[in-house]
Amino acid sequence: MGNRVFLFQTVDLSVAYGRRQVLREVNLVVSPGEFWFFLGPNGVGKTTCLKTLLGELRPRQGRILFHPELFRRHRLGFVPQRCDLNPTLPTTVREFVQLGLVGLQSGARERSDSLAFALKQAGLEGMADRDYWALSGGQRQKALVARALVRRPRVLLLDEPTKGLDLATEEGVMEALADLNQREGLTPVFVTHDLSLAARYASHVALFYDGCVHPGPASANLTPEELERTFGVPVAVTREESGRVTVSIERSKDIL
Amino acid sequence: MIQEFVSSWHLFQHSYLAGWLIAILLSLIGVLVVARNQIFLGAAVSQASTLGIALAIWLGESLLPSALSELTGATLAPAMAVVFSVAAAILTTGRGEEGQETPEAVTGWVFLLSASGAILIVSHSPIGLDEVQRLLSSSIIGATAPDVWVLGGLAALTALFFGLFHQRLLLFSLDPAMAAAVGLNLAFWGLASSAWLGLAVGLSIRVSGMLYTFGCLVLPALIAKNLCREVRTMFLLSPVIALGTGIFGFILAHRFDFPPAQMTVALLNLFLCLTWIFRRYR
Repeated sequence: MGNRVFLFQTVDLSVAYGRRQVLREVNLVVSPGEFWFFLGPNGVGKTTCLKTLLGELRPRQGRILFHPELFRRHRLGFVPQRCDLNPTLPTTVREFVQLGLVGLQSGARERSDSLAFALKQAGLEGMADRDYWALSGGQRQKALVARALVRRPRVLLLDEPTKGLDLATEEGVMEALADLNQREGLTPVFVTHDLSLAARYASHVALFYDGCVHPGPASANLTPEELERTFGVPVAVTREESGRVTVSIERSKDIL
Repeated sequence: MIQEFVSSWHLFQHSYLAGWLIAILLSLIGVLVVARNQIFLGAAVSQASTLGIALAIWLGESLLPSALSELTGATLAPAMAVVFSVAAAILTTGRGEEGQETPEAVTGWVFLLSASGAILIVSHSPIGLDEVQRLLSSSIIGATAPDVWVLGGLAALTALFFGLFHQRLLLFSLDPAMAAAVGLNLAFWGLASSAWLGLAVGLSIRVSGMLYTFGCLVLPALIAKNLCREVRTMFLLSPVIALGTGIFGFILAHRFDFPPAQMTVALLNLFLCLTWIFRRYR
């Protein structure tokens, strides 16, 4: 682990809200080209971990080491679950996406190229001048992804970005991320409850339970034993010959 | 009508200039207040500033020797106005952490505490009560040359600051999580924006009173919101609306012998109603 090239690494990271300890001694190494999923039930600290990585929360103990390329988080993208933008404010897709460029030193041409790149990757090509509030829910979610991509990030942190999306839109967002992961070497870190998404796309999984984080390759962590320990319910994991993995909750009279 | 107004320039030039500079200054900051949907914060901060002035009057009359009181009177009241408004702005712009009071509740508390406290503190002082009532009802008559210089400097600095950093300010105001993700120091920007708001309101209120201060803070930005397609153009249009209405309002007030602050705020309200209609049928 010590010799792996990392984009960011947490060392004995502990986070608390007041006296309530949420995460303790988290040791996580995220390397280029990996596709991470943070999995766990509600309230175990997945989003808290993300907020700490983003710098929104200060760790109580431990530290976060960033690769020089991520210096001052310049090439770190973030897609929130939803945007708390004041709905009465006038804004266009262009203005909304370009907010993601804040803090970067770039010329007008470069900004325009980045905007075009982000809109294309998010499937919003040709919509730059559209009123943001005229977009559908799925398109707004894509605009959030575009706002993160406009920085051409190396690491993209996503907090349940597909929650509430219809299947087709979810598929579109996930395929775009998988494509960027493979072609551009983007490293997504995805917070979700959706085990089937993790089974399809994850190269690495961090399981959150009891204030601890257990990171590892998807093949090692997406097992019935690990998932049952994390979620507290029996989980069936099926590996098909094609390599496709499906995960589902087992029917059990204890659960029903 | 314009000729009549120009003829009054030598008498009221400082009041006119101070009024217009306040309009420009507060209408710029008001874009952020409106963007964050914290309209009532403007009223609370203005009221807290009035409490600071009332306290300064009471201190001057009750505790300080009369000679010292006169000396400090000119500086103590503005200083207390600024200190109280900055403190109120910092106190009310929190984000409501889990288990704590909401910013709206804190804003309401600051407003009510300041409104009741300001009157109670000066209720036995005829001069103090008169001054607080003047502040509450708003009168721009009485501004001095130093007021114009101070407000002009602050307006220029604000315009420069907003020109350079409007996107950072907007991102910080609209989406703190994203702002943190792109490396903005949330604590610094939170403190800086609150202190700036407090400073601007604190300096404006002593010259123009609560109604004009609060009106210039929120109404031009609300009008601009109805006319613009993007927030960045609100930063340009809001001060133009404020200054234009200020000039028109002062001319009308002079011609028909009305108080200029109230006339300007009434015109801004009228324009806001018209732009609501415009936005509805656009």
